[in-house]
Amino acid sequence: MAEPPDQGHRWWRLGEQERFMLLLLLPAATVLVLFQIVPILLGANASFRDWTLFSPKKTWIGLQHYAYVLTDPSFLRVVLPNTFLLMVLSVSLSLGLGLALAHYLDRRFAGRWLIQTIILLPQMIAPVIAAMMMRWSFNDQFGVVAAFIDWLGLGSIAWLAQRWPSFCIIVFTDVWIWTPWFALILLARLRSLPREPFEAARIDAAGPWRTFTHVTLPMLRPVIGVCVLIRSIDAFRTFDVVWILTGGGPARSTEVFSIYTYMEAFVNLDFGRGSAAAIIGAGIILVVAGLMYKAVNRGADVSR
Amino acid sequence: MSAPALPVETPRGWAGALAPGGRRALLLLATLAILLLFLGPIVILVVTSLRPGWAVYYIYRGTDFTLQNFVEVLATESVTRAFVNSFVLATLATLFSIAVTVSSGYMLSRFTGPIPRTWFGTIYLFRTVPYISWVLPLYLVCYELGIYDSYAGILLPHIAVHICFFSWIMKGFFDGIDPSMEYAALIDGCSRWGAFLRVALPSAVPAIAALGILSWLYTWNEFLFALILTGHNTALITVTMAQFVTELGTQWNLMSAMAVLAMGPAILITVFAQSYVIRGLRI
Repeated sequence: MAEPPDQGHRWWRLGEQERFMLLLLLPAATVLVLFQIVPILLGANASFRDWTLFSPKKTWIGLQHYAYVLTDPSFLRVVLPNTFLLMVLSVSLSLGLGLALAHYLDRRFAGRWLIQTIILLPQMIAPVIAAMMMRWSFNDQFGVVAAFIDWLGLGSIAWLAQRWPSFCIIVFTDVWIWTPWFALILLARLRSLPREPFEAARIDAAGPWRTFTHVTLPMLRPVIGVCVLIRSIDAFRTFDVVWILTGGGPARSTEVFSIYTYMEAFVNLDFGRGSAAAIIGAGIILVVAGLMYKAVNRGADVSR
Repeated sequence: MSAPALPVETPRGWAGALAPGGRRALLLLATLAILLLFLGPIVILVVTSLRPGWAVYYIYRGTDFTLQNFVEVLATESVTRAFVNSFVLATLATLFSIAVTVSSGYMLSRFTGPIPRTWFGTIYLFRTVPYISWVLPLYLVCYELGIYDSYAGILLPHIAVHICFFSWIMKGFFDGIDPSMEYAALIDGCSRWGAFLRVALPSAVPAIAALGILSWLYTWNEFLFALILTGHNTALITVTMAQFVTELGTQWNLMSAMAVLAMGPAILITVFAQSYVIRGLRI
């Protein structure tokens, strides 16, 4: 502060620009701190305490809840595998189908608007309703799928009474909801790609498949990376679809992380243990997402 | 027309093996599959909602249709109240969360340095935290504060839900607006706030409207926060529906009617504001 700053640097020194930035940030940051950061810290605090609805003593018990959750066979052998399986299957299937749909839509044809409207619907409808639809369609007595299978003479499958059929329906529903999201984002990017590489591929007599794998896909890679990252984070916390379709059943065999935490906190009414599960899950996805973010960033510059 | 859709006079590879007619048949088949897959479940739900209670069990035959289910659902007081609650909540939460995030998005777009970097890190971090890890302690907080099952107890968290996501999206909107107009305004003696509010903001309004529509729909469709943070007084439409599914497990005609009513806004928005929605869906 000894020498007078020159004009160009003045507002840096006075912090006028920083003040403006902080004021712009103030409303969002306030809401974030009050309703997300503070509650998460309080939840972290609760996870170290003996805190159930029936005995809210809130005595400090250290890491006992963490030890319980991390050694709970159902958490390790059912919940975690289910969560990651749902994440991997849902993201990869909806990415594949979304890519195909994007290519399908990337043409001029009669009724294109109508098809796009129909494809958009699953993404706009509440996941709760989507899950209700699927639950009804796959109803083992009166559902349309059951009727169709019966008509084929294959007998009946009690879809929602067994682990893997239930799990397949959960994955199917999630893919149904999220394929349109991939399709529309990839379609927008397909349309903004430069024409020249495609013309070059045509001149080199590359077929559609080779053009796709050698020209389109490499150019789409950055946006695919970002989509997969965002979708994986969201798939990890899936709740609505599983809750409505199976409620985690039969016999807690389709529970995913969010359902497990909900069960501990609001069915077993053990807020301490629920909070510990919540923190463990948040930790897991933060590590996974961090690794994925690194991979995506290495693959393409998306730090924008 | 778009880049990859070059006029394909001589398709090669597997597509080239098909005659032009075969190619057309393949596309027609794809169209049918898409219709069946994406429209099928919705159609079944709508048909079920129009069936009398005894006829849903025979969904694949019979021609009896009725509007009685809708009448019955709309005559249920808890359902109508849930619709009103959801409508008010979605509208208020959208207005507030857009208002709160527009300036932070502008900040992210126009400045560099430690403050935007820190905010970016915060956004990435808290965008990743699963909802359950956050709504569970929120429940404890609302309970201790005595605002559980009140309108404040559900509105305030719903404003916070999208802070991270919307800040990020808003940055994208402002990135698409050339800042040279703002520099010109600053040189002409306009204040920084003037440059933001009177120069940059009006150009961003269409994009913000698009985000507003999506935000409204997200809140209308939201389930987990509603399930945990609302009780009898403030029941929302998604939770009321879920209760129908688990409690009235057999009355599919009524549940379908309610679901059809609840997806009304989604359908209206998809049909009439599709370009806005697609603009808002960017990442």
